[in-house]
Amino acid sequence: MTGSKFSRRTLMQGGVGLTIANFLPGTMPFAQAATMEESTIAAAKTVQATDVSGMIWSPYLVPMQPVIADFKKATGIGVGAVQDISIFDAPQRAMAEALSRSPQFDFIHIDSNMIPSLASAGYLEPLDEYMKKADFKIEAVADYANFMTYKGQTYGIPTDGNVHIQYVRKDLLEDADNKKKFADKYGKELKFPQTWEDDLKIQETLMDPSKDLYGSGNLRNRANGPTWWYMIFYSAGGFTFDDDMNPTLNTPAGQYAVDIYLADKKVAHPESAGWGTPQMIPRIAQGHVVSCQYWDGTAKLNENPAKSKTTGKWLYGLVPGSDFSGKRIHRSISSPLAAILINKYSPRKAQAAYLALWLGSGKNSIPIVSDPVNTFHDVWAKEQLKAPQVIKAYSAPAIKAIEANFEVVSPPTYLTGYLEFQDTLGKNLSEAYVGQLPAKDVLKKTEEEWAAIVKRIGRSKLKSELASYKAVMPKRDMPA
Amino acid sequence: MSVAAVPAASVPSKPAARTRARRHSIRVFRWSILAPLIALLAFILLPVLFLQLYFSFHQWTVYLGSWWEADYVGLDLFKEVLSDPRFGWAVVRSLVFATGSTIGCFVVGFALAYLMAKPFRGQAVYYLIFILPMLTVPVVVAYTAEMLLYQSGPINDLISRIIGLDFKPMWLTDPNIALPTVMLLEIWNWAPFSFIIMLAGLAAIPKEPIEAAEILGASKWRIFWEVQLPLLRPVIFLALVLRFLEAMAEFPKTWALFQGGPGTATETLPVYIFLTTWQYFEISKGAAMSYIVMLLMIGIVLIAIRLLRREKSSLDSMYGQAAHAEPPA
Amino acid sequence: MSMTKTQRRRISATVRYSVLTLWAIIAFFPIYWMVSTSFKIDTQWFSWPPVYFPDPPTLANYLNVWFGAEQYAATQYAISSQKPLISMMNSFVIATTSTFLAVFFGAIIAYGVSRYRILSEARMFQLLMLRMIPPIVVVAPLSLYYSAIGLLDSRTGLILIYFLTTLPYAVWMTKSFIDEVPREVEQAAEILGASRWRTVFEIVLPLIRSGLVATFLFILILTWSEYLLALIITKTQVTTLPIELSKYQGTTEGRVYGRQAALAVGITVPLMIIGLIIRKHLARGFSFGMVRR
Repeated sequence: MTGSKFSRRTLMQGGVGLTIANFLPGTMPFAQAATMEESTIAAAKTVQATDVSGMIWSPYLVPMQPVIADFKKATGIGVGAVQDISIFDAPQRAMAEALSRSPQFDFIHIDSNMIPSLASAGYLEPLDEYMKKADFKIEAVADYANFMTYKGQTYGIPTDGNVHIQYVRKDLLEDADNKKKFADKYGKELKFPQTWEDDLKIQETLMDPSKDLYGSGNLRNRANGPTWWYMIFYSAGGFTFDDDMNPTLNTPAGQYAVDIYLADKKVAHPESAGWGTPQMIPRIAQGHVVSCQYWDGTAKLNENPAKSKTTGKWLYGLVPGSDFSGKRIHRSISSPLAAILINKYSPRKAQAAYLALWLGSGKNSIPIVSDPVNTFHDVWAKEQLKAPQVIKAYSAPAIKAIEANFEVVSPPTYLTGYLEFQDTLGKNLSEAYVGQLPAKDVLKKTEEEWAAIVKRIGRSKLKSELASYKAVMPKRDMPA
Repeated sequence: MSVAAVPAASVPSKPAARTRARRHSIRVFRWSILAPLIALLAFILLPVLFLQLYFSFHQWTVYLGSWWEADYVGLDLFKEVLSDPRFGWAVVRSLVFATGSTIGCFVVGFALAYLMAKPFRGQAVYYLIFILPMLTVPVVVAYTAEMLLYQSGPINDLISRIIGLDFKPMWLTDPNIALPTVMLLEIWNWAPFSFIIMLAGLAAIPKEPIEAAEILGASKWRIFWEVQLPLLRPVIFLALVLRFLEAMAEFPKTWALFQGGPGTATETLPVYIFLTTWQYFEISKGAAMSYIVMLLMIGIVLIAIRLLRREKSSLDSMYGQAAHAEPPA
Repeated sequence: MSMTKTQRRRISATVRYSVLTLWAIIAFFPIYWMVSTSFKIDTQWFSWPPVYFPDPPTLANYLNVWFGAEQYAATQYAISSQKPLISMMNSFVIATTSTFLAVFFGAIIAYGVSRYRILSEARMFQLLMLRMIPPIVVVAPLSLYYSAIGLLDSRTGLILIYFLTTLPYAVWMTKSFIDEVPREVEQAAEILGASRWRTVFEIVLPLIRSGLVATFLFILILTWSEYLLALIITKTQVTTLPIELSKYQGTTEGRVYGRQAALAVGITVPLMIIGLIIRKHLARGFSFGMVRR
């Protein structure tokens, strides 16, 4: 039949092709490959539809609710009762849950630096099986997905990728009088700080307490201080433990970090020793701070004219580094890194796991991190950094800064006992900051207390975890 | 002195059997009253205390296994607690806090009660205002204090205006005045308690001895010191002892405002035990600490009981009769 | 001493009024601040110089906190999905139930102590001192024990422990009322053939009705404001008001003082009303038999 479009041969070939296609794994005839979201839904449908309950802070939950609603429509799995508890109090509560092996919460939304502690306590469900069934990968920037792993297994899905970036007031930096003052004092040009020493000099020169403008917006309180200290310590080439799990804090690098940390006192508001995020963030946004390292989410606040007096007045960039070790190293930090962890003792862990995967796909997480009102969640996925609404929320320079800092982001002590190590260090640092402890005794005391913690948890156990900790540390000294 | 166990009028007939039946029914009655109390103690308090005792003798490291598999370590934990300087400091801070705030509550309460003892115009209004702080939930006190005590806050502002100088202490971040700050809050919160007790005590003092002393020409000071004060001693002891014990256990205000900081300036015993148990997850060490604190408190309580009972019996004898028969001490 | 009696009296009156007024201001100012902050708009919550009188006053904080009215959130602060009204109901149920149990059983035990000496005076003091054990020392094993028997995060669990810790006060307070009921009344009842229990419930307790009410309200104050046990024992199913308050600890945009104040006012007002109602009985409640009437 010369008139027909398809010869019998073509039809035969097509038929063979179809048959072959049906037998090839992972392909669907005449259709595109399933997206990660679709395969997650498909996998979730294989388990019974039920609501899950969890521990999560309400400002985090609110922007996630529309995304959860979509999942519920598709699979019948939604979120029921939650315990509303702040991300800063959640670790204690989670450990209390682990102690009592409680099946009550199906998931917890918590600092992922708690993963080693909670996994050691037997509380966490590994997610690799679910990820395989749902054909899911954590598409995080750089090596950020490592932050979710412990001893080779994945335990969490990130939702809020906190990373510290450097904030410097553009208007103050470019002011002619300030430029002159700085040049006169140091004989150098006033520009974006590259090292901790630079930052201190800038803060000191540009601050003006009579106008309620203070140099530093860094936190130095007992709870958050260590987060800043680690950045300095790692950038000076320091590391917390040696291969035998002896603490290696009381080293020249450590003492350098303590000195820089305490020098902040000269350029900070006198009451800031007791300030936490709720007090400091308004001061940054309302223009009372010259420069600081701070969580990247504050950029969203700064660039929102309805809430900030300093829209457009900020420069964002890489956190300062140090030459102390002989070469220039920059280290940022991610703490707390809010992620969804699944309770091993819960009867609904599969449902909770698939819900977590749904929330953690690049596409689904975009509205979560760019919500204009509920700004807690911060970017962590490759896809988010390209999304226009995200770039608009943060501002393009901030996104560039975030990307750069992600390449050198490090964890705090990513080991079992994280809370104990952190609080001990924070207590000693804050005692020194308020003058109750001499600066030279901070690290010695902390090392002794850390050694006791190591002994209590078990040296060999912690030694086996060192590899996971080091796997999370950045591989390069500076961004490419 | 007749005791109400056996009513005065009894129905006559077969005395021995009747008495046995009566005694039996009384016994049943007594035990059925006590039963709920004993049940409550047995089902809740005792298991809890035993569990705590278990933990203070067994080292339970949360990461290594379930709590019933913990290792027996004898007195190691107690030794560890008693040689921990941070524990010693916590004890000191708690004692300082309790003593200071108790004395402060007493002084304020007594002064107010003394000034309010005689009726005057507007007294009812003052009374109402004075008891308000005690009705404020402690957590609310803490958060309201946070609003008020910023260096650039209303309290500093008001005081600066009144005294004309720049009064700017950093109530919330200066480690030297952090503990006094909590003490002041405690005094604000609980002075009404002392005030009410003292007022009742002052009102209960019979007028005759005072009038007699005034007629005899004694000065106001002597009357106070030698007539009123001895009659007030039981009340004063009560106010001091109860307040002291509750102040040793104070937790909400210190934790909500300071979380033990700045540095460790406000790390009192309850705060340190809380941190040890719920932040460091050293359940066993926390248990040993708790037992030591309990022993300390029981010691103070026993002394307190002895003092109070002595005061009460002297009070009873001062008033010439006892309302109930005293069982042999 | 060249002053006349009138002059001296005037001076002492002046001293009295100034001292009392000074403390009245100290006592009242923080409460005033809390109430006034709850009516302030957000720019006045934490400003320098401090704003002493809300101008303009607003109900936005109350509407947002107690009724979840989102439009009053002005899209400025993370909308809370907490439900204070539910916490208030929880607080109400837990507090009233545990208080009722304490007063009921406390009165019975007090009757037994007063008339039958089921507890010696030494034991009575020891009972009172039971309350003086700091809760912090029993909280950790209590939570483990409760989770083992399924009482964790339950109203029943909290009710039981509040009942236990307030029972000593209940016994002491009601005993002082029972002591004042003349024994002749019960003797008359016994002659008429009433059983012991009937005597208690139908004769004695009704006679001390007002004392029972006073005791009830006094103990309600304690159970309503309890913080530490509620903090550890509650999780998702149950929240009490004091715990609810600690959740308002702030967002990324600063402390939400106005909202905290609106919640705090709601927590405090019921207690103040109760306290004012029973103010005449507070003295008896606190004296534990140390004061002669």
